[in-house]
Amino acid sequence: MKAYSRWTISHKLALLALVLGVFALLGTAEKSGTVQLDTQELARIVEGEVDHVDVEELADWIVQGRSDYRLLDVRASEEYARYHIPTAENVRLVELRDYPLYRNEKIVIYSDGGIHAAQAWFLLQAHGYVSSYILLGGLELWKDEVLFPALAEGADASARAAFEKRRSVSAFFGGQPRTGAAAEVERYTVPVPKLESVPNVAVPKRSRKQKEGC
Amino acid sequence: MNAPFYKYGYFGDELYLIAAFAIGIAFGFFLERAGFGSAKKLTAQFYFTDMAVFKVMFSAIVTAMLGVFYLSWFGVVDLDLVFVNPTYLVPQMTGGLLLGMGFIIGGYCPGTSLVALSTGKVDALVFLAGIVAGIFVFGEAYPAIEGFASSTALGTVTLHEALGVSMGLVVFAVVLMAVLGFWGASVVERRLAEKAGGAV
Repeated sequence: MKAYSRWTISHKLALLALVLGVFALLGTAEKSGTVQLDTQELARIVEGEVDHVDVEELADWIVQGRSDYRLLDVRASEEYARYHIPTAENVRLVELRDYPLYRNEKIVIYSDGGIHAAQAWFLLQAHGYVSSYILLGGLELWKDEVLFPALAEGADASARAAFEKRRSVSAFFGGQPRTGAAAEVERYTVPVPKLESVPNVAVPKRSRKQKEGC
Repeated sequence: MNAPFYKYGYFGDELYLIAAFAIGIAFGFFLERAGFGSAKKLTAQFYFTDMAVFKVMFSAIVTAMLGVFYLSWFGVVDLDLVFVNPTYLVPQMTGGLLLGMGFIIGGYCPGTSLVALSTGKVDALVFLAGIVAGIFVFGEAYPAIEGFASSTALGTVTLHEALGVSMGLVVFAVVLMAVLGFWGASVVERRLAEKAGGAV
């Protein structure tokens, strides 16, 4: 072997690469890297109310067939089987950490009211899933506003116009608008739509990142 | 501050475009300086008389790989947010073969044809016209080949996940392959040069 002083720059760079390669054997660049959790930042997000998605917004996404989000249903699997928002995936809180999600995905979480979803949101944030959101009002509000929107008697013109839009969205999801006296009916007495009657909305597969790359 | 900057949304969109422009200019400049604006130099690779393409490309791969690996090890880059091109096995192999054939026949790959054009090479202009025509034909024919183009989808596959080994081991193996490859390439180059010299 030649003396080191006679090595060309290429030789030296190759040696450097080799040394770095050997050290790489000791290193980990795996997914489970530590995440800096700024609790103050989280608090600001919560207070600024930028951590949630409205039910109408989500309904629009589903109607448009958008596939740039993941919708997670964190309720029990029996409840999920009974009814879930189209495109939702059922994940239990204990499975959340190992569930195949990407940190750059827009993740929307919902539960019945929202408490479990909020807790799941904190878990995801703690693992660095920075673009996770809570479905505000949860499944209950979804039923109230999307599936069974109500129009109170004596509503003004703008409320009626808004209701017309809701009526078509409700029909899309197999729901039933409530008007007049029916508006007073508790939503719990109205049966949730059968899942089969819900339009066949394609569940987004892992093809969301097509726009990237060269 | 963590990378990738774009995914964390640190700056406005304009700044990323400016950065992309600067990186692109630098990329083109160094390709030119490495001699990749010459179809003769590029095609010499396929006759093994000049292994510069192999060496430059493999050096770039090793440099980028070590950079990304160590930055993610030190917690600067979040690998989860780095885009990995999804694998479509058969379509990508077919595309690779087509690109290789075009490379040998035309003397350029898409990027180097632009590099060559910047120094005023006319063959690069013809090559570029071919690329544009090819894009047009592909776009028009896409409905017919869409089924094929999205077949054998394997999702995002990375070597260490597919092989079930640590990422560090893959990094080491690739570096070793590169260094052995560089050595082998220089041996082949010397042999062929001797042979050519002897024939004269």
